[in-house]
Amino acid sequence: MNKIRELSDIVREIPDRGAEIGLGGFIINRCCMAFAAELIRQGKKEIELTSVSGNMESDLLVGAGCVKSYAYGGGSLDHFGRLSRVNEAIEQGRYNIKEFSNLSMALRMTAGTMGVPFIPTKTLLGTDMLEKLLADKEDSVYIGESPFDGERYVFLKKLQPEYVCIHAQAADELGNVLIEGPVWDLETAKAGKKLIVTADRLVSNQYVKNNQDKVTIPGVYTYAVAIVPYGAFPAAVYKEYDYDAEALTHYAKVNQKQETFDEYLNEYILGTKDHNELLEKWGGLARMNALRADPAYGYVKGGGGHQ
Amino acid sequence: MAEYSTNELMAVTAARRLQNGMIVAVGLGLPQIASFLAKATHAPDLTMFYEVGVVNPQPIDSGVGIADPRLWYGNDSFTGLMGTLGEILQKGVCDIGFLGSLQLDRYANLNSSLVKDANGVKHLTGSGGAADIATFSKHVFVIMRHEKRKFVEHVDWVTSVGCYKGKKSREEAGLPRTEGVTVFTNLCVMETGAESGELEVVSLHPGVTIEQLKENTGFDVIIRDNLPVTPEPTEDELRVLREQNPAGV
Repeated sequence: MNKIRELSDIVREIPDRGAEIGLGGFIINRCCMAFAAELIRQGKKEIELTSVSGNMESDLLVGAGCVKSYAYGGGSLDHFGRLSRVNEAIEQGRYNIKEFSNLSMALRMTAGTMGVPFIPTKTLLGTDMLEKLLADKEDSVYIGESPFDGERYVFLKKLQPEYVCIHAQAADELGNVLIEGPVWDLETAKAGKKLIVTADRLVSNQYVKNNQDKVTIPGVYTYAVAIVPYGAFPAAVYKEYDYDAEALTHYAKVNQKQETFDEYLNEYILGTKDHNELLEKWGGLARMNALRADPAYGYVKGGGGHQ
Repeated sequence: MAEYSTNELMAVTAARRLQNGMIVAVGLGLPQIASFLAKATHAPDLTMFYEVGVVNPQPIDSGVGIADPRLWYGNDSFTGLMGTLGEILQKGVCDIGFLGSLQLDRYANLNSSLVKDANGVKHLTGSGGAADIATFSKHVFVIMRHEKRKFVEHVDWVTSVGCYKGKKSREEAGLPRTEGVTVFTNLCVMETGAESGELEVVSLHPGVTIEQLKENTGFDVIIRDNLPVTPEPTEDELRVLREQNPAGV
């Protein structure tokens, strides 16, 4: 079955209110920027958002008021700055933001991939994240003893978001996903009930049959694929393009205040009809070409995103 | 003796504690610089990994963080967060978790989440993998500036557990046993006591006085008798450090 669809068409079927959505980006790499922007354009609200670590995709959704709750393991924009919209929501006690650690969120997704109700771990024990989750009566954490060694563990409830989105270098029409570089998002991808993949490039299934070792997520998990070139911009995609340092620096400045964030939102997201138009606004093909990665290194050697 | 900066002294002092063959979970900045220095000098078989899923990188360009492909260059293998935090660390094969921190208390618990002041709470980054790394590494190294507002009786938020509440409290809370925490600052080196789990100053950096140390520490820190002076960096170490310094600090 051909799973290639338009991104706007895929997003349209996500409920307008209260959808469970998991996102797969990591800090400034393979972030689901086109997908997050489309959720905002289509006015999705009260999203129950989850991600292992936080980055610009979740900061945008929180800042745009699309989120009802957000569980994550912490996050930043690396040296560019902070997730100031998420941070402000925490400081002001809005949007029910639940802080875990990266491993505890990855473990919740792992339980989801295996379809087991929970997974035991010793991480989070002794931390204030756990204290707060327990004080808030968060139902995804439970302290118990292992029946095998009698020791104390945190039992983390499985997470299987209704929809998850990851961004990858390439996918074929059957939804086989090709990722190069680290694969921090495999559990997130496989945990979702419906996996949406945005990919920079389409490859044919014949290419996949000749390069099976490049497939990191078999198509059995995939619900739909949207081919969105530069779909992670301004984040990086290993061996495809670098992060855009100027655009990230700009975002890390405007996200510090709701008014300047709103201006950014109006100009770049609500003021554009799709990701292509957003890219045009930033300088289009000329700018994207300057970000093209040298495949020998995976980034722009001697320039581009280099700080 | 060659001239050196405080950062260079911190990096060299930490690097000397990394032994050949160790497996180290590293974060960006001084932890990474110290690890690469060790690898280029006395510990060629050091294995470094970043939680994002990159094992044994040999970067040649500086990057903005562990999600920057510049820092992945020349690695031996890729995995994901489950491969690093969930397996290498949780299985217990990581020797050193090498972290930075905003605040540290007398039992070497780390705060990298938020700071509280008269205006309320300011949230910064949260755990990421820091809590997981501190929980599962056999030994934790912390490298940070020595200031009164950073070395405090109680951290504003326990992001990552060091020796918890001292003595056997860590195991009693269900956490894996730790060999302890070693802290490298711009003033001294501290280690947690084997029994007490409390930080003790084990060497003072050249020119630093005990008075100065006390002034900059927000709790009554234990100072060992006959305190040695931290050995200065050698010309060789400084040369290697300045030549490679992949994260450009």
